[in-house]
Amino acid sequence: MPRFNFWTVVMILTWLLLFVLLFIPVGSVLVSSFYDQSGNPTFANYLKFLGEPRFHQAFVNTLVVGFGGLLGALLLGSIMAFCVSRFVIGGGRFVSLLAILALVSPPFIGAYSWIVLFGAGGVVRGFLRDLGINMPPIYGVGGILIVFSLKFYPYVYLMVSGALSNVNRSLEEAAEGLGLTPLQRTFKISFPMVFPALTAGGLLALIHAIADFGTPRLLGRGYNVLATEAFTLYSAEVGSNMSMATTISVILILVSMVFVMLQRYMSRRNVYHGNMINKPSRIRLKGWRNVLAHFAVYFIGLCGAMPVIISVIYSFRKTSGPVFQSGFALQSYERILFNLGDVVRNSLTFSIAAVVLIVIVGTVVGVLVARRTNFNTALLDGAFMVPYVMPGIVIGIAFIAAFNTGPIVLTGTATIIILSVFIRRLPYTVRTTASSLRQISPSMEEAAVSLGYSPFQAFLRITVPLIVPGIIAGGMLSFVTAINELSSSLVLYVGSTMTMPVRIYLLILDGDFGTAAALSTVLLVLSGCAVYIAFRFMGRNEQALL
Amino acid sequence: MSYLTVSNATKQFGQSFMALNGVSVAVERGEFFTLLGPSGCGKTTLLRSIAGFNDLTSGEITLNGANLRVVPPHQRDIGMVFQDYAVFPHLSVFDNVAFGLKPRKVPAAEIKTRVTQALDAVRLGALADRLPAAMSGGQQQRIGLARAMVINPQLLLMDEPLSNLDAKLRIELREEIRDIQKQVDIATIYVTHDQEEALAISDRICVMNAGRIEQVGTPQDIYGNPQTRFVAEFVGTLNLFNPGAALDAMLGHLGLSAAGAAAWAVRPEHLGLIASGATAPADAAVLDGIVTKFTYLGREAHVGVETPAGNLVVQLANPGMAASRAAGEKVSVVVPQSAPMAFDAEGQRLGRKG
Repeated sequence: MPRFNFWTVVMILTWLLLFVLLFIPVGSVLVSSFYDQSGNPTFANYLKFLGEPRFHQAFVNTLVVGFGGLLGALLLGSIMAFCVSRFVIGGGRFVSLLAILALVSPPFIGAYSWIVLFGAGGVVRGFLRDLGINMPPIYGVGGILIVFSLKFYPYVYLMVSGALSNVNRSLEEAAEGLGLTPLQRTFKISFPMVFPALTAGGLLALIHAIADFGTPRLLGRGYNVLATEAFTLYSAEVGSNMSMATTISVILILVSMVFVMLQRYMSRRNVYHGNMINKPSRIRLKGWRNVLAHFAVYFIGLCGAMPVIISVIYSFRKTSGPVFQSGFALQSYERILFNLGDVVRNSLTFSIAAVVLIVIVGTVVGVLVARRTNFNTALLDGAFMVPYVMPGIVIGIAFIAAFNTGPIVLTGTATIIILSVFIRRLPYTVRTTASSLRQISPSMEEAAVSLGYSPFQAFLRITVPLIVPGIIAGGMLSFVTAINELSSSLVLYVGSTMTMPVRIYLLILDGDFGTAAALSTVLLVLSGCAVYIAFRFMGRNEQALL
Repeated sequence: MSYLTVSNATKQFGQSFMALNGVSVAVERGEFFTLLGPSGCGKTTLLRSIAGFNDLTSGEITLNGANLRVVPPHQRDIGMVFQDYAVFPHLSVFDNVAFGLKPRKVPAAEIKTRVTQALDAVRLGALADRLPAAMSGGQQQRIGLARAMVINPQLLLMDEPLSNLDAKLRIELREEIRDIQKQVDIATIYVTHDQEEALAISDRICVMNAGRIEQVGTPQDIYGNPQTRFVAEFVGTLNLFNPGAALDAMLGHLGLSAAGAAAWAVRPEHLGLIASGATAPADAAVLDGIVTKFTYLGREAHVGVETPAGNLVVQLANPGMAASRAAGEKVSVVVPQSAPMAFDAEGQRLGRKG
């Protein structure tokens, strides 16, 4: 039976892939954390982690920015979700476009734009100082939390607005009929219905916050978290400490794992599917309430999209060296064209290569998971969860630990960057392919078989055309993630394999914000095109960006 | 030998569940044959075994004399209509119907004429170029029907094709299916759990229960002469008499008896109602009772009457204004001599004496 053989081969290859790209790197991190610098087995790294105040502080700081980001995102996201799904807000589509902008903008550009506005020499801060108002610069934990709240609120907004528009209006009407006041109704009916979405969205923000490297690095000014500590230990010119870096990576994986599990549990509980006969209607507010609702929505939306707006504006400003002059010019773009062409090319080739791999492998494995259900595929499905809990910085360090020496040496190659993006995004494609396959009624293929097509032809002619739009859309969204990837590439890059996000990060460190802004704008345009194509193929579905 | 035969079919799922437990049926050329039963009775399993989507655990299926079990499903040349329509959403109505003609290597010109004919037959000719996604359930199922018919299959299978449609459309479309089937003259096996639909549409009905066949027969046989208590209760409604002195007296009056009878039953529409104390008609017994409930349904009315022989429902056809009864009213129920049916302890119908 050739078909049986084909799927067995796929199964074996998939496990092999996971083994090489996942289990070996994670294993190497784990092993390395139990050895000292000279190669003797030891618990010293963990004892050091427990013993040194510096690491305690980083651990506590990680939790502080995690939960702070969660609270901020919850606050902003739920206000916005509530206003947009319950009140008539002028330009609602524009508001969700602002949320998408915040979501797809490069992670660290946000941090820098806020420095431009509110940093030591910040524009807004300077303006306020001229008016006699002295405000502290944005550096430190406060700044990180502001940036995280504004960067991650779309997770909560998109999840909660989805849940809110699924609450059957009849339930609220029934509560009203039973004599509950509007306030009681909100807390006893509506809130429990969206609670799972709230927690799932909030935890998503938390997971991204503790994995984020760029923001604390640029804004922290001494406020270190686990991700920055791991990178510092790994990259220090003098006294690079790989075993301590891997120890911190293990801790970061564990912390992340707890919250990913929690998040998965909460999103699975998000199952209040009402019949949608009685859709909730939006109320048209009057007077000051209307003004307040519009102000809240637009304030959050514009602040979230502020970094993008700032970088687009600054990319067109006239510069002399790294210093901005008054007036506008295309100098920054000229510099990209003449000096940074290879960086753009790298980013494009790496991302496209990774996306092609992701789409092909992800689709085949997705079919395997959806159609050949047995013990092995359930296990496979579980194994694909692992990359979810790996912050980018950890993936980078793990790949270095695994492929620096030994049978496969990949450090310094383009392959290692492509593979690191590939393995992080693969689970997403496997899952979406499997779930879209499960949504196609089996009678569809049976109908084709009864009409005279062999099962394989039926799959090719009926099922494939039905899932292709979803696959293309998923590929485009993977492209957005791939081309914006900073933290793993930062660990893995060498001079010849530098990507746009890495270059932007280095430009910001060098203080050349004009070029950084122009490069960010290019990145943003590429991401925007990909999101646009994705939405063309699957309909406008902001939730797919999560 | 019949056109399609299924002999001693069994199908086991898991360790112990027998979806089919020794089923044998024979379908003739051009016949409209319906499998009727409650959900889980094995009717769909039998249909899918004939289509080839699941294989039997044991038993034989032959079509036109050839063993069907060795033929892979896509070579069986059997058209199928699905409960969820299974219309291909990415193909136009025309392409959906033409889909089965392509692997049969039908020339393009002939495809055009045959598809157009089939679409006209299901009254979708005007929508040929549309995509089916936005169409109503009734229209989608018409596409499914045309698609299964156009290949001129040796056999047409329909798996509850109307159960997702609303009541009025269901009646309209079942008439159409019946007419089209008679025109194309393809032997058809139709699965349903709706007894009225089965009676309206079929040449013969096979009533199934728990993986076994209860009775095969024409609609008149199935309804008018049910061979088991299950069939009598599933197709139509049934009043069961309480055993006791009142039942014995009534049977004695009618001169009826059956050896080994465990239960006596009567259909509501065979009963009549007269004023309390009025004389019984010839060849009938009367049971005095009290009205417990009156349900008016327009073309008929159901009167619940509490009698010494049990609570009986009497169905009155064309109830006029005067037919109205109030709860607590004294009445007499008329039981004609031909009406009572006797069943043994296993639920088999018994012959009556008298």
